[in-house]
Amino acid sequence: MTPLLEGRQLRKVFGGLIAVSDVSIAVQPGTIHSIIGPNGAGKTTLMNLISGIYKPTGGSVWYKGQEITHMPLYRRAHIGIGRSFQITNIFPNLTVIENVRLAAQALSSIPWQFWRRADSHKDFINQALSHIALVGLSDSILKPASMLPHGGKRKLELAILLAASPELLLLDEPTAGVASEQVGEIIHTIDTIRAQGDKTVIIVEHNMSLVMGVSDRITVMHSGTVLAEGAPTEIAQNKEVQSAYLGELYSDVMQPKTGEGKHDH
Amino acid sequence: MQTPATSIQQKPAWRRTLDTNGVFLLWTAFLLIFPFLVGAISGTSPTGRRGESVFQQGVMIEYLTYAMLAMSYNLIFGFTGVISFGHALFFGAGGYILGGAARALGGETGVIVGVVLAIVASTGLGLLIGIVSLRLKGVYYAMFTLAVAEMFYIFFRRNPETGSEDGFGLGSSLPELLGQRIVLFYLTVILFILMFLFIRRLMFSPTGAVLLGIRENENRAKTVGYNTLRYKLFAITLAGVLATITGMLYALLNRKVGPEMFFVNFTVNPLLHTIVGGIGTFIGPILGAVGLSWLERTIRSTVLTVGESQINIGQWWAIILGVIFVAVVLIFPYGVVGTWNRAAPHIRKWISRFLPGRNAESG
Ligand SMILES: Nc1ncnc2c1ncn2[C@@H]1O[C@H](COP(=O)(O)OP(=O)(O)OP(=O)(O)O)[C@@H](O)[C@H]1O
Ligand SMILES: [Mg+2]
Repeated sequence: MTPLLEGRQLRKVFGGLIAVSDVSIAVQPGTIHSIIGPNGAGKTTLMNLISGIYKPTGGSVWYKGQEITHMPLYRRAHIGIGRSFQITNIFPNLTVIENVRLAAQALSSIPWQFWRRADSHKDFINQALSHIALVGLSDSILKPASMLPHGGKRKLELAILLAASPELLLLDEPTAGVASEQVGEIIHTIDTIRAQGDKTVIIVEHNMSLVMGVSDRITVMHSGTVLAEGAPTEIAQNKEVQSAYLGELYSDVMQPKTGEGKHDH
Repeated sequence: MQTPATSIQQKPAWRRTLDTNGVFLLWTAFLLIFPFLVGAISGTSPTGRRGESVFQQGVMIEYLTYAMLAMSYNLIFGFTGVISFGHALFFGAGGYILGGAARALGGETGVIVGVVLAIVASTGLGLLIGIVSLRLKGVYYAMFTLAVAEMFYIFFRRNPETGSEDGFGLGSSLPELLGQRIVLFYLTVILFILMFLFIRRLMFSPTGAVLLGIRENENRAKTVGYNTLRYKLFAITLAGVLATITGMLYALLNRKVGPEMFFVNFTVNPLLHTIVGGIGTFIGPILGAVGLSWLERTIRSTVLTVGESQINIGQWWAIILGVIFVAVVLIFPYGVVGTWNRAAPHIRKWISRFLPGRNAESG
């Protein structure tokens, strides 16, 4: 089966620092593929190369068998690639509903209808509302996004991503900095996406119980390179991974104590 | 759990407060009767060649052109988040192209050709400047647009064919009809109202939503699939065309054009008017433009009589206006209208506590 997304020998250099060093990754359609690794391993940089935020120093990105290495950021949304960010990236002075509606209309034919009222397009409003409901923000639809608490912003981040119905979802630490009692709703959202079965997800996460629970495959990164790749059970038993990284973190799986945002702030 | 779509048929809160139809109708009515109102009060004819009513119509036309310039500037600065220092370029282009056509062809033909030509040219100019420079970020874009506008300013100051520093008069080449003040007045009022309604409709449209998205977070707008460069190009070109229309009215009012129309004043003034009135609000730029222009005119002509001596306050108008500007910005950090919009819900809530029997929850 051809992978939905493939990164070949991806490399990104910042000045003298090699953030991503010849990383290859192949993501099969319909699967959830996690990327884990310690802080500074290059996970976010890899996501930025795939989504087009950065141009790679070397290597190439392929989507559905087509090379997209130099495709502009906005066009990638049109071929089905969506992205959420580790550091919350929303439209602060727009209301929650406007944030999501704006994303929902992005791939349609209406954005140039400058003579029509946006709220006359009820389908986009309903689409936005159902995504807002899915992430659990229905109470706050008319609040400006900047007024949401941190957890609410993380949920909005997800709703913006879902609104455009991408085929490939790139999730960069969706639970970053979210209080443990709210992590459940975010996991619920990811489970819903998984249950629908038609989406492909690449997810970067530090929350090991989440990763072990949802992943079909896991790539472990360390200092810009791939340390190991395999099914969750293989990764959990991999000696090299255990000594380099999982050893300290794997205990989380035994006593689920979800992320406190130790790495985000 | 599903909120019905109808519940947001009433627009989002911050937009609802911007929706000022009541106020809008009031000042439309005021503008429509203005010449006759002044005429009745001063006992002068609104339709003649001179007199108080005609004079005040001229003043109002000037205020309205400043308001239109600020509204067009707010479209890019307030709603799209792009800072341009070259707005005067479009204002001047409108004046000079209309003036040039009127002088060359004369009469109605001159004006019609001039208007069409000016709109076509400013569209081209907006697209050209945008394509060349919109990739520049923030301050660099602002500097580029300033440089282009200044180039035009210097060129027209030195170009003898267009009267160098003096510019040239249009009086003899304009059609009879436009020589009547009241005709120009209603023309200005109509264009002003159309521009206001057009910008408001635009900002409630799907396209307006994208412009706001670019202002709020351009990278996120790109990530969700918008070619933001195109939308910015649209916004600066549209704002340019609106400024051009304004420049034509200004030239018709003064019956002359001069290089000062390209000067940075006609960029900085709408910028200040927008800041004072409220960036990214609908009536803020109008309020700022009319308010500050009225203040300037009033201060400049004020002479205080203290005992025997007369103090001409007018000579210090720039300083006084500067102080007022600073004070307003300090008291109203989001501009007058912007600050009011933010404070209004709190004020309403506070007042409702003192109104027993009313629903204290609302607001
Ligand atoms: N824009 C940039 N300019 C310079 N260096 C960068 C940039 N982005 C990332 N880096 C560096 O690249 C390395 C990898 O960073 P990256 O953000 O990809 O790590 P990460 O695996 O996502 O870490 P975390 O778990 O903390 O999010 C780090 O050393 C980081 O400092
Ligand atoms: Mg990261």
